[in-house]
Amino acid sequence: MKNRILPVILLCLTTVGAFAQHVLKGRVTDQVTQAPIFGAQITLKSDRTKGTITNDAGEFTLQAPAGAVTLIVHSLGYKDAEVPVGNQTFLTISLEEDNAKGLDEIVVVGAVVKRENLTGAVSSINSARISQTPTNSINQALQGKVAGAYVVSNAQPGSDASIKIRGNNSIQFGTNPIFVVDGVIIDGGFNTLNPDDIASVDVLKDAASTAIYGSRGANGVVVVTTKKGKNGVGKVSYNAWFGVQQFSKRAATMGGKDLFNLRVDAYANAWQEKNPQGNRDQYIADSLVSDRSIAFGKYELDAYRAGKSYDWLDAVTRKGFQQNHTLNFSGGTEKGSYFVSFNYTDQKGLVQNSNYRRLSGRANIEQYIKPWLKIGTNTTFSNTKEKYVDGSVFSVAAGANPLLKIDTTGYYLKYADIQNQDAYNPLRSLWITGDNFSNRLLSSNYININPIKDLNIRSTVSFDITSQQTFWYTPMTTGQDKRNSNHGKASQKKTLYNNLQWDNTITYSKTFGDHYVSLLGGTSIQLNKYDYNQVDAFGFPNDDFGYKFLGGAYSKDKTTLSSDFVTTTLASFLGRADYNYKDKYFATATIRYDGSSKFGANNKWGAFPSLALAYDMTRETFWNVKAINRLKWRVGFGIAGNQNIPNYAFASLYRPNYTNNSVTYVSDGRLGNPFLHWERQKQLNVGVDLSLLDSRLTLTADYFNIDNDNLLMVRTLPTTTGFTNTVSNVGALNNKGIELTLGAALIRKKDFQWNANFMLSSDKNKITRLYGSTKAIYNKGGYTGVEIQRTGNLFLGESLNSVYSLKFDKIAQQSDMERIKNIDFAGRTVHPGDIIPVDKDGNGVINDDDRYVVGNLTPKFYGGFGTDLTYKGIGLNLFFNYSYGLKRLSGFYEGLMSSTGLSAAHQDLNRRWTPQNTDTNVPRALYGVPRYSYGDTDLGLQDASFLRLSTFTVSYTLPRQVSQSLRLDNTRFYMTGTNQLLFTKDKGYDPETGDGYPNAKMITLGLNVTF
Amino acid sequence: MKKRIFLLPLVFLMSCQDFLNQEPQTALTQEQVFSKLENIDPLITGLYTSWRNARKDRGGFMFQLGGDESQQGAFQVKSEPDQAGLDRYDGFLAPRNNALTQQWDMRWPIVTAAAKAILALQTNKEDENRRNQLLGEASFIWAAVCFELTQYWGDIPVIDAGKIAELGTGRKPLPMVYDYLVRYLQFAADHLPESQTDKRRVTKYAAMALLGKVYLYAPQAAGVRDYQKAADQFQKVIQSGKYSLVPKYADLFDPGKANSTESLYEFQFTNTYPDNNQTQWQMGSRALASVDGNCSFGGYDLMVPTAYAYSDVTKGGVWETGDTRKDASIRYDFTYKGEAPKLLSGFGGDELDPHVKKFEDPRTQGTMSFWYSGKNIFYLRYADVLLCYAECLNELNRTSEAVTIVNDQIRNRAFGGAIPASLKWASGISQDDFRTKMLDERMRELAFEGWRRMDLIRSGKFVSLIKARNNWAAQSNTIQEFHMRYPIPLTEILQNEEIPPSAQNPGYQQ
Repeated sequence: MKNRILPVILLCLTTVGAFAQHVLKGRVTDQVTQAPIFGAQITLKSDRTKGTITNDAGEFTLQAPAGAVTLIVHSLGYKDAEVPVGNQTFLTISLEEDNAKGLDEIVVVGAVVKRENLTGAVSSINSARISQTPTNSINQALQGKVAGAYVVSNAQPGSDASIKIRGNNSIQFGTNPIFVVDGVIIDGGFNTLNPDDIASVDVLKDAASTAIYGSRGANGVVVVTTKKGKNGVGKVSYNAWFGVQQFSKRAATMGGKDLFNLRVDAYANAWQEKNPQGNRDQYIADSLVSDRSIAFGKYELDAYRAGKSYDWLDAVTRKGFQQNHTLNFSGGTEKGSYFVSFNYTDQKGLVQNSNYRRLSGRANIEQYIKPWLKIGTNTTFSNTKEKYVDGSVFSVAAGANPLLKIDTTGYYLKYADIQNQDAYNPLRSLWITGDNFSNRLLSSNYININPIKDLNIRSTVSFDITSQQTFWYTPMTTGQDKRNSNHGKASQKKTLYNNLQWDNTITYSKTFGDHYVSLLGGTSIQLNKYDYNQVDAFGFPNDDFGYKFLGGAYSKDKTTLSSDFVTTTLASFLGRADYNYKDKYFATATIRYDGSSKFGANNKWGAFPSLALAYDMTRETFWNVKAINRLKWRVGFGIAGNQNIPNYAFASLYRPNYTNNSVTYVSDGRLGNPFLHWERQKQLNVGVDLSLLDSRLTLTADYFNIDNDNLLMVRTLPTTTGFTNTVSNVGALNNKGIELTLGAALIRKKDFQWNANFMLSSDKNKITRLYGSTKAIYNKGGYTGVEIQRTGNLFLGESLNSVYSLKFDKIAQQSDMERIKNIDFAGRTVHPGDIIPVDKDGNGVINDDDRYVVGNLTPKFYGGFGTDLTYKGIGLNLFFNYSYGLKRLSGFYEGLMSSTGLSAAHQDLNRRWTPQNTDTNVPRALYGVPRYSYGDTDLGLQDASFLRLSTFTVSYTLPRQVSQSLRLDNTRFYMTGTNQLLFTKDKGYDPETGDGYPNAKMITLGLNVTF
Repeated sequence: MKKRIFLLPLVFLMSCQDFLNQEPQTALTQEQVFSKLENIDPLITGLYTSWRNARKDRGGFMFQLGGDESQQGAFQVKSEPDQAGLDRYDGFLAPRNNALTQQWDMRWPIVTAAAKAILALQTNKEDENRRNQLLGEASFIWAAVCFELTQYWGDIPVIDAGKIAELGTGRKPLPMVYDYLVRYLQFAADHLPESQTDKRRVTKYAAMALLGKVYLYAPQAAGVRDYQKAADQFQKVIQSGKYSLVPKYADLFDPGKANSTESLYEFQFTNTYPDNNQTQWQMGSRALASVDGNCSFGGYDLMVPTAYAYSDVTKGGVWETGDTRKDASIRYDFTYKGEAPKLLSGFGGDELDPHVKKFEDPRTQGTMSFWYSGKNIFYLRYADVLLCYAECLNELNRTSEAVTIVNDQIRNRAFGGAIPASLKWASGISQDDFRTKMLDERMRELAFEGWRRMDLIRSGKFVSLIKARNNWAAQSNTIQEFHMRYPIPLTEILQNEEIPPSAQNPGYQQ
């Protein structure tokens, strides 16, 4: 208990009487839920033998001596509070929930570490803040709440939000942090965890905290600790929410009439290119809008003349209803605890037929068998059922012709009479069945031995086993089937992920007077296995059996079988030493020595050391600045690693292929690199924790500087080497930035509390070296796989996230023609109304040498801010997140803006250049003549800065008396709106989630009951 | 209890190295593949597949675009500027041209893998016969691909796995390139068997025919052009007695009569993915594709015959009356199930002009998409050997013998086996007349089979004939002599330090 008085406790003190008395009364409640806390111990600081405990209304009465009295309030599961009584007679004390049963302890690689001793840059959020966002994804719950964590949500049912810590530290591999759930390192599939089960999330951001994860810590570590039972009477709690989701935005695409006019304009302009003296109006009347039209199909002319416009997207989408229920049971004694929970979540997707359902359960049990022997398990099981729809449904419907009637007649959609065999009729595509069933067991089991005092030995065996079955059936009635002449296609894929982790640690911790020392040594091994098998069968007599009867497939020669087996391993030794003196000076040193199977024989092992120091000035005897009650300086330096590269990249592989009745060996194109080694990041972090005015104002600030000098990437090779790519350590990257978290308790009254918080993060990366004398590495891709892309290129001295393209000069006007007449536009037409790019080198030729780094996809800064208002039982919470100064490429918008009326078009094209409307940046319509498009220049680069009302919640907690009369501890109702407001100039679906699928907004109604 | 725990790290360390050695379980490493004949054999069949695949689908026709017998469909020209550059010979035909980069990129891995196989086989100590045969096959594939590359790009890297440190990956002068071609093909001709039951594999006579072509097609600068040596090779093929023209020209394109006596080597395809070739998808007419996705002459108009290639002599084209090759090579009539299809709005307008017919696969009709078209594609055909031999004889001042071969074999078959005297070439024509007539005869006999671009290059009439016959090149009017060679792809120049920008082909330097 001695060193555990944290200054971050929030107290609500209310003066009831104005004069001192010998009898003290008060009430203890949960800081967040305001629920009364039963069984809290209240003792006098001066004499810990004198005390009492609270009753089931959280109330207490205590005889206290006159004078300056300080109380210590202790309740399991909460942080201890030290309360100066002053001259009050009734105290309202609210306790901050502590996150683990072991109070301030979290499990780090099989060892229990005090949170306070995490000397590095760590952001923690507790269950109360997690539950502010009703969601079934943890990442989503973290959005905007952790400085330095950039979370991008995903509206597709069952898909997880992505999270990135401290910007880009690697190029391609593993930009996501690792997740450690109760000590188990998991890769992916975080959405099978129920946020309601989570007690706390600690985001470890610098090497001082992540070095203990060695080769995997480079992109940060998210430590998730699940709930444990609390000592005291058993509790039952039920949480439920219901939500209605819809798209937050749709693209402003043209309706039938505008699209018709656009196409007429595009054709007429193209005709005039060849017939400059021709009669344009005559041409339009004769060849375009008449029944003999070469530009329109009859159905389009009919729809246009009837004033019709069809919305295909509307036909395949819907409102998505969601519901989530969690029921948990918890309790414990001094000898052990239990926490058992059940969860059901059901999410209907916004595209028809898509659905996500999850049933999960958890048992966290801990028990002392002997005074020196403790065992425990944190085990969760989940069963997920997903219904997929074919990926083309949304995209095809979004790009459908508004002059085409919505029905299932065609196998493909069309513009004019051009049936596009890639545009499968989405109504038919909805007939495709896609089911995914997945079972996951995530179980961490430990035995903990204290053979002698202060010595702790712990061994943990963890399993993370996922078995997944994916089934598809594409019926004969779909365009997909027609195009591929399959006559029905059934696919079955069965996948097994089997991950095993075994951690052993020995910890010795002792306090010698003012010195506290803790030493930890351990080993960790991980075995990750993956295998799958897949069957695709073709040709069925009918569609009746779906994917269930493979034996009925008659096109046996088309049957494909595939399978793979992959094993990767990691072995580690780790050591850690913590020292602190009077809670004033802190030092932590860690080292981890990791071996990985992903590297060649001589490069398997790497060492990852770190050192962190901290100094709490307010603990100094000379400290007399009353206003500042905490001022802790932190500095940490360490090396973290990254091994997230494709498997077997050290070897050139030849894969067996079956073709023309025999097996052939063909290189997979990758040149093996036996010299591959870890990415090593040298990370420096300097931070300060400041707390002012009785902790009413708190500030945490961090500065980091990360040098990654062995950047791993897939490098394309000149094919004269015989290969197309290789994975190699190509260069060095510097990434630095700051993070700021501000918290303020603006009002602290008994019935009225107002808190506000603000977070800001900024990071900036720069490539400082590339291999050899190379100044640039180009990223090839595109339709043919060999075009230099706008993003993903590496330029010395520039950001990883640079955008590389031609620069937009202006829209050509008649007056420009003389100036540009001798410029070689590489075969493109530039006439009035077309885009002129900047001739960077002024040599009269526009080519790749005229490309610029035109922008950067990294925001200048980003973060969130929010406010909590509680008045009596009513709560209001608002949370915004923002991002400033980032650019974005929207291929989607560019596509819409390049339309010639033969594809979906954006309404901004109504502002296109015409001889009458010359003051515009939107080029003219022109069909079938090559010229510069939106995507060829930076004209398409979006200003993606935004401010979003990420969540707002209005809640009401029943008054204690009412709750009690219903025999409930706590009852809370709430309504939450997610993503209800967005301010941005971005033209795509969403500046954050991009253009694959629009973002969603949701209104949720929820209920929490505890008894 | 404690003792055991302390031992743990030791046990752990000892077992670590094994634990961390995880080899791929469903692939072989390069060392494993080249270590024994049992593995090199499937590697070489893999090379055949990759070489074959360079001739399928869209990519398989890139070198035929921009010719005097074939050009892109109008809709393609409107919608794919990079690809249109291959016909327009405009600014898009530049180092960044993606369509060409793709062709370059797909060939070099074949060359280098063949080079590695050659090195591995040269040092292998197993069964000598089998080894030499495999070595012959690897040498042949190396040479066939490099021959194509050097014809179109000029100086190219010479990939010799045994001399990689010495030769590197820079461009090498033509004499060195052709020296390798001749040596490798000679080895193949010496060691390959006379016939193969597995039709994917090349034979002695295919090697001789290709070697003959190398002597005939080599640019003067290569120093190996030699009509006598070429004629010798062709003569050996002819005298082997293993090959003959099939009586009916149209039978050559009947999938039921594949691998005929006329075939020295053809790429083997089927109607089943991944062994189909999608050629009809590229060659057919969109107007039909809209009517029925399973119409065997539907497709997407990637490449169509030029007006010269589909018109009769009387209309300024190439066809003489009565030539059976015309209707076997080109589709003029699009009537489908009794109905004439209509031109559709939004397309290029040439969808019902004559189309390439040689790739139509009647086996797909009505049952599967033309995407599954999978007829074999000719590489070396006996008719080509005869024409090349005749050409050599003409160059060796034996014109009348050459005329006899053309009249009695090639043209006689073309006109149904009974060529009228009026259509026979006069035995007394001049050497130069023969050359001119031969160029048209090769178009009639070998249209769309992939040799035309090389024929134009060696004839010296590349620019004049393309400008006169290719609609898009004529419109653009920018074709020049330097276009005979393609630009080295920008990505190669940027990433291969041994090919600096200054090593770019003339006309393309930026």
